[in-house]
Amino acid sequence: MKIIILGAGQVGSSVAESLVSEANEITVVDTDTRRLRHLQDHLDLRTVVGNAALPSTLQQAGAEDADLLIAVTQSDQTNLCACRTAATLFKIPTKIARLRSADYRDHPELLDQKNFAVDFNICPEQIVTDYLLKLIEFPEALQVLEFAGGLVSLVAARAVEGGLLVGHPVSDLRQHSPDLDARIAAIYRGNQAIIPKGDTRIQAGNEVFYLAATHDIRQVMSELRQRDRPTRRLMIAGGGNIGSRLTMAAEARYQVKVIEINEERARELGATLGSALVLHGDATDETLLAAENIDDMDFFLALTDDDENNIMAALLAKNLGARRVLALINRHAYADLLQADRIDIAISPAQISIGSLLAHVRQGDVAAVHSLRRGAAEALEIIVHGDAATSRVIGRRIDELELPAGASVGAIVRGLQYATPETPRSGQVIIVHRDTVIEPEDHIILFLSNKSLVNSIERYFQVGLAFF
Amino acid sequence: MITAQRIRVAAAITSKKRLLEVLAELLTSAHPQLCDAGIFERLIERERLGSTGIGHGVALPHARVAELTHEIGAFVQLREPIPFNAIDGQPVDLAFALLAPDDDSDQHVRQLAGLAMLFSDAERRTLLRRTTNPDTLLTLLTCEPPL
Repeated sequence: MKIIILGAGQVGSSVAESLVSEANEITVVDTDTRRLRHLQDHLDLRTVVGNAALPSTLQQAGAEDADLLIAVTQSDQTNLCACRTAATLFKIPTKIARLRSADYRDHPELLDQKNFAVDFNICPEQIVTDYLLKLIEFPEALQVLEFAGGLVSLVAARAVEGGLLVGHPVSDLRQHSPDLDARIAAIYRGNQAIIPKGDTRIQAGNEVFYLAATHDIRQVMSELRQRDRPTRRLMIAGGGNIGSRLTMAAEARYQVKVIEINEERARELGATLGSALVLHGDATDETLLAAENIDDMDFFLALTDDDENNIMAALLAKNLGARRVLALINRHAYADLLQADRIDIAISPAQISIGSLLAHVRQGDVAAVHSLRRGAAEALEIIVHGDAATSRVIGRRIDELELPAGASVGAIVRGLQYATPETPRSGQVIIVHRDTVIEPEDHIILFLSNKSLVNSIERYFQVGLAFF
Repeated sequence: MITAQRIRVAAAITSKKRLLEVLAELLTSAHPQLCDAGIFERLIERERLGSTGIGHGVALPHARVAELTHEIGAFVQLREPIPFNAIDGQPVDLAFALLAPDDDSDQHVRQLAGLAMLFSDAERRTLLRRTTNPDTLLTLLTCEPPL
């Protein structure tokens, strides 16, 4: 695929990094030559210096040949203008714009083909905020990801002594709760992935991934560990873009304290937030943390834009008695080092938000992509089309599929209707069994223990030549 | 189904996207009721569900179109092969696009199978690559196999 990425900031760079491959030809556009040089030194891609909204810049970037435009500059206006230009002058088939301001998204008609011609819009800060909210809601989870418009969830959690299923084979799940349908997609012992069979035993300390209808995920969790007490008190370090969004979304349901180092920003936040308490200070200052009763906190989230500060603040908070700590870490290498050691959850914001972009780059009708285990594994939602003659999967039973080792189908959502302003989303969630038969238009949710399997899986689920 | 006017020879095209655009223009040239932006979109949409690159440098992009009463085709011979994500990973330099009416008949599937058969002949592919005369190409594309 030929892809043009506008903006070489945090989002643009990580998108470029994850899309660079033999199959993709990538051009990154930015006004900052230093940033572009840095990217070019690391990755095999082309760069163009210039104003991303100008026709001449887009032309120079190869817009006439491009399959996909990803407009992720800091400016909503530049992104919108670039999409319109790309549609009118260059007919780029798929255009994605980053829109930070909710204003535009409140008027979807502005984004349609007659106007700004944005096929998909994303707001990375909002995606990260939603992800963090899920973790607040499920204190036992390491990751909670949604598929099929939210009907199905994939949950990662560490098995802890005391969970009903810990020390028992996976197949016991059905005996404990005959009415509960869930599928254990993978078990990690250290970095070793195990695609479980019925007799695979879950051990304490294992990282378990399971799929279930979203309304069942709490009940499945209790099989893996005793329920933690629900989250009530939060402390957030950093009142920036993500910190303030999260506080606004959480302050009605939780007691929230925000620590912001910039005095002016702290005052501004204090004026706009409701019940949350804004403190001016340094989150790596142990006296401040102790004075604010860090040992009473159910969850401490370090969300500043500085990796080192986030790591230090989270370590300190854990040490001072916070029940659970999370650090946002932009550098993958750091995140890999830290998770499961002394920081409960270390996540890179790019990794969280990139899935929504990846879905559009993939071959076939891929509705969602979530990267797991910090990028090593992946979960996919693929919509199948055609019939028994034009598809290799439709009309076949799950146990008749020829899937490579390390790939498994966990769930199907049938007859999915996404929510509209008039109607709620609807669809039938099927946790698959050996004899489940795939039907046309099913949403298939797959777990891949290794992302190198992605290509062959996508090909396998595509329609054949005869599909019209 | 195809005329010499809908055949482009030695086209300098550098991407799959441009190739589909050119095919859409050729297909709509004789049918004022079709809009090339719409046809382009349909071809792109179909490619997204699975590449129509059938191997040996050949692609057969296709789509259904409600406005048509019979199949129409267009053919492009490329100067240089381009990446097409084909089944055998080979780049494509011969592309035959087929539009079919949106009806229940399986006529279009038979047409497509016929085309796939025609292009499976290595000798014919060689001739299709060498010939620069549209009328000769038309004969090569329409005479029933074997040659």
